[in-house]
Amino acid sequence: MRTTAPVTVGGVTGERDGVLRLGNRSFAVGEFALMAIVNRTPDSFFDRGATYATDAAYEAIDQAVADGADLVDIGGVKAGYGEPVSEDEELRRTVEFVAGIRARHPSLVISVDTYRSGVARRVAEAGADLLNDTWAGADPELVYAAAEAGIGLVCSHVGGLSPRTDPHRMAYDDVVADVIRTTTALADRAVAAGVRPDGILIDPTHDFGKNTLQSLELTRRLDELAATGWPVLVAVSNKDFIGETLELPPGQRGNGTLAALSVSAWLGARVFRVHDVPAARQALDFIAVLRGSAQPAGTRRSLA
Amino acid sequence: MPVVAAAVCPHPPLLVPEVASGAAPELDDLRTACLAAVDALSTASTIVVIGSAAPAVPYGLVRFPAAAGGSFAAYGAPGVRIGSGDPVLPLSLAIGGWLLEQSKATGLPRTYVAVPTSATPDECLGLGREIAAGNDRVGLLVMGDGSARRSEHSPVHLHPRAEIFDTTVASALQHRDLDVLAALDPDLATELQAAGRAPWQVLAGALESATLTPDLTYNVAPYGVGYLVAAFT
Repeated sequence: MRTTAPVTVGGVTGERDGVLRLGNRSFAVGEFALMAIVNRTPDSFFDRGATYATDAAYEAIDQAVADGADLVDIGGVKAGYGEPVSEDEELRRTVEFVAGIRARHPSLVISVDTYRSGVARRVAEAGADLLNDTWAGADPELVYAAAEAGIGLVCSHVGGLSPRTDPHRMAYDDVVADVIRTTTALADRAVAAGVRPDGILIDPTHDFGKNTLQSLELTRRLDELAATGWPVLVAVSNKDFIGETLELPPGQRGNGTLAALSVSAWLGARVFRVHDVPAARQALDFIAVLRGSAQPAGTRRSLA
Repeated sequence: MPVVAAAVCPHPPLLVPEVASGAAPELDDLRTACLAAVDALSTASTIVVIGSAAPAVPYGLVRFPAAAGGSFAAYGAPGVRIGSGDPVLPLSLAIGGWLLEQSKATGLPRTYVAVPTSATPDECLGLGREIAAGNDRVGLLVMGDGSARRSEHSPVHLHPRAEIFDTTVASALQHRDLDVLAALDPDLATELQAAGRAPWQVLAGALESATLTPDLTYNVAPYGVGYLVAAFT
């Protein structure tokens, strides 16, 4: 297990500052980055296609930025099982949209959730800063798309699942060890393929290839992932492990989401992929102060 | 002596209440049906537990002794285990052992046999005949799941042939139709993610020489996976 991210690029040892650099933004260690989810899908598990139409999607982006999002994550294909989406259709849903967001929000970090290298190359040209490869290298070419474009990459863990399938009795001797082994190997492979080390994140990918007890274990032991030195992205928002833990349907998992997100932040996660941006921003701002990486907005109580 | 009693049970991890946590009561009926079928094995002098294991096992059948360890830690419940020593039993046999330990057959000698999911029907039938050919009064516990593709919300997405496959097996168990069990297609079973195919075919081989009365006591797919319980007494 490494204690600092490798930052040797082209034989030159770069900065060992742990700063995450995406687009023209930098996120230092101790700083929390918030990623807003905007789906271009008609069948998302959470919003059921609320931002499928272009205008609604742009409005959602504008609102997310106003609410404090540092990144947006654009998805053109529902993660779970659903209608097949061709590469052409995924391109139609994402490429122009990415270009449009780039024009409207020059410094917003744009992430695209895709497992196809063909889509990755096109959205990179359109202005994407980060590829969120949720299916953990299912397309081995995707990493080169990130390398060629000089953009970031999220390295995920899905327990060997194929894209858009669900887990059936996934078993792990130690789920945290498996996640660390898989995501750091993908990160090392990405570095070897030429991806900028300061643009690489690892994501334990709760629920994907995991039962609820395993996703809870990952949340409880997130500090072990953070200790790898790679910036950790967590995507817990409204997921089934929260729903099963609290016996609540997708529309009522907001409070559980904040609890999981807060613990993750406390244990060292740095990027948070969420549906409810204002709620997450408040929670993260509060935890930043608790951790001592930010100051309270103002302290007057019992001090006057 | 041939097989004197047989039980067929599914092996989802959430049969174990500690794994299912608050959802445990949802499978109370299944647990009760399984234990009733396993209790009926107590007329035997020795128990053989048959269950499927990943085909990664390169050397075919694997036999484990009665004290072999089984654990549910890999599914998130480290507090539940059976036997002693390293947890070597695959899920199907660990569930079988877990059921036996709560049953009236708990005190009987026990052997576990893991059958690779890649075993051919002939290999399975041969194993069943071999088990029945010994001198022991065998109680056979056959662990097997139906298709994991039974519904839109299945662990693996709906397959149009899943329900008819499970219905065929259920009917064959209910009517002791060994020819139907023997004829189950391994490739189709793999596509349908029906883990029970090989163990059911071991059962078919073992029952050829036994005149037992079948009783299908449970046939439901509450989470999109087919669960079948049958007793042969």
